[in-house]
Amino acid sequence: MAVLEVKNVSSGYGEVQILWDVSLQLEKGKLTSMVGGNGVGKTTLMRTIVGLLKPWQGSIMFNGKEVTKLSAHTKAAEGIVLVPEGRQLFTDMTVYENLELGAFSPRAKANFSRNLEMVYEMFPRIKERLNQLTGTMSGGEQQMVAVGRGLMAQPEILMIDELSLGLSPLLVLDLFQILLRLKGEGYTILLVEQNVQMALAISDYAYVVADGKIELQGTSKEVANNAHVREAYLGI
Amino acid sequence: MLEQLLASVIDGLLLGFIYGLAAMGLTLIFGVMEVINLAHGPIMALGMFGVYYLSMEMGLNPYLALILVAVLGMVLGLVIYGIAVHRILDAPELSSLLATFSVNMMIIGLGTAFFTTSPYNVEFSMGSLSLGPIILPWNRVASAIIAVAATALLYFFLYRTPPGKAIRAVSQNRDAAELMGIPSTTMLALSFGIGSMLATVAGGLVATLFSFTILSGATYELKSFVIVVLGGLGNPAGALVGGLILGVMEGVIPVFIETSWVPVIEMVLFVLILLVKPQGLLGAK
Ligand SMILES: Nc1ncnc2c1ncn2[C@@H]1O[C@H](COP(=O)(O)OP(=O)(O)O)[C@@H](O)[C@H]1O
Ligand SMILES: [Mg+2]
Repeated sequence: MAVLEVKNVSSGYGEVQILWDVSLQLEKGKLTSMVGGNGVGKTTLMRTIVGLLKPWQGSIMFNGKEVTKLSAHTKAAEGIVLVPEGRQLFTDMTVYENLELGAFSPRAKANFSRNLEMVYEMFPRIKERLNQLTGTMSGGEQQMVAVGRGLMAQPEILMIDELSLGLSPLLVLDLFQILLRLKGEGYTILLVEQNVQMALAISDYAYVVADGKIELQGTSKEVANNAHVREAYLGI
Repeated sequence: MLEQLLASVIDGLLLGFIYGLAAMGLTLIFGVMEVINLAHGPIMALGMFGVYYLSMEMGLNPYLALILVAVLGMVLGLVIYGIAVHRILDAPELSSLLATFSVNMMIIGLGTAFFTTSPYNVEFSMGSLSLGPIILPWNRVASAIIAVAATALLYFFLYRTPPGKAIRAVSQNRDAAELMGIPSTTMLALSFGIGSMLATVAGGLVATLFSFTILSGATYELKSFVIVVLGGLGNPAGALVGGLILGVMEGVIPVFIETSWVPVIEMVLFVLILLVKPQGLLGAK
């Protein structure tokens, strides 16, 4: 069953259209990747799905219910959660406060202790620094807090924009381990990742975005074996 | 001489807490939504008249009246936000200055029609407190205590309660707050309401100390600006420190030169800070 269904969505900034008739589905419990070059509209699509941008056309269905025009905070409270590009932490607040704010909605508050335990266990490093201001942390630590904050929100759909951008190879491996574990626990995930090879290796399904349109889609295996993808994104 | 100086310092400090409270209202609104509330002074004046009417006309204890005034100040802030502020949040800065200045003119206009511009007085005295050679009117001491308590409550609210933390989150990153399920528009409205509430409470406290007119807010608004720049724009703790500095200056300067120099020195300080340390003594938010 599709948890999220994006149907023929167009969107953009001001007068400038970025997304053209984009359709996409997320299956429950599956890890879906969205790959493509810089500036093709991946972030724009994620911002449109969560409601930070309003779709110009098309519709967005969540668990069979139309959510196209709902505000971002309403969608977040219902479980459409985005870990945004550039992390967007509350930098003048502590790690703990960031996690706490992740669980702002009643749905998330009800699961606060359980999610907090899970986050502590996944990221022992941030557990040691609960009182540190997140603005003073390294990029990798900030990304852990960002993912942790997203998990605190009790996501039905967890979208992660640029999980590994700017992080050291070792940290990237750590974060992919976490992702695999989340997948194993049944989270429904939409991942945007510039490391196309790794993204395709761990995901079930993949979309290739180019110039604001879906250029290609299929199981990760199909996409990874596609000649065009191999040449353009995998450099093989 | 030394005694007089000490008395002036204490007097200034007591007043400084009220100045700080008023400035916190201004700086909170700026810190959260980058709107400079030019209706701050008239809102303070409404707080003065609120305490006047509730105590002098309706017989309430002035400090009890303050609680009602606080509630009304919150409601007033929510109304102003809904009517004048919300729609111009994403517009260029000039729009928000014009919008809040319009609110300023409306309050002054209506206030003048209702109250004229003649002075009012909350007549009420609780005697004096003598500490050795220093004699302090209880009114002053009580207002300072209330201002301190209000400041502490504000801090408790902002740092210890979920809506307070949500307001801080919105002020730091509005999009990220939305992504966490925080209704940012509600939080902005609430911040404006609290800013307005602080202004009316500070105004109400002033009314228990000095006589006032509907135009009196302007003086305190100007002081609030000096304080806010002194302490760092958007920084509530800075507003408190700035308020105390200004209060002490106002207490001490008249010991040495004529009182009429006070605003001159205040404004020179204002310009100096802007030139030398524009981020304020404690830094911006
Ligand atoms: N806030 C914005 N205002 C105007 N144009 C934007 C904005 N953000 C992104 N864009 C433009 O939208 C296009 C798609 O950007 P984005 O969605 O960030 O791409 P991606 O995430 O795939 O790298 C780019 O051309 C970019 O310049
Ligand atoms: Mg992007």
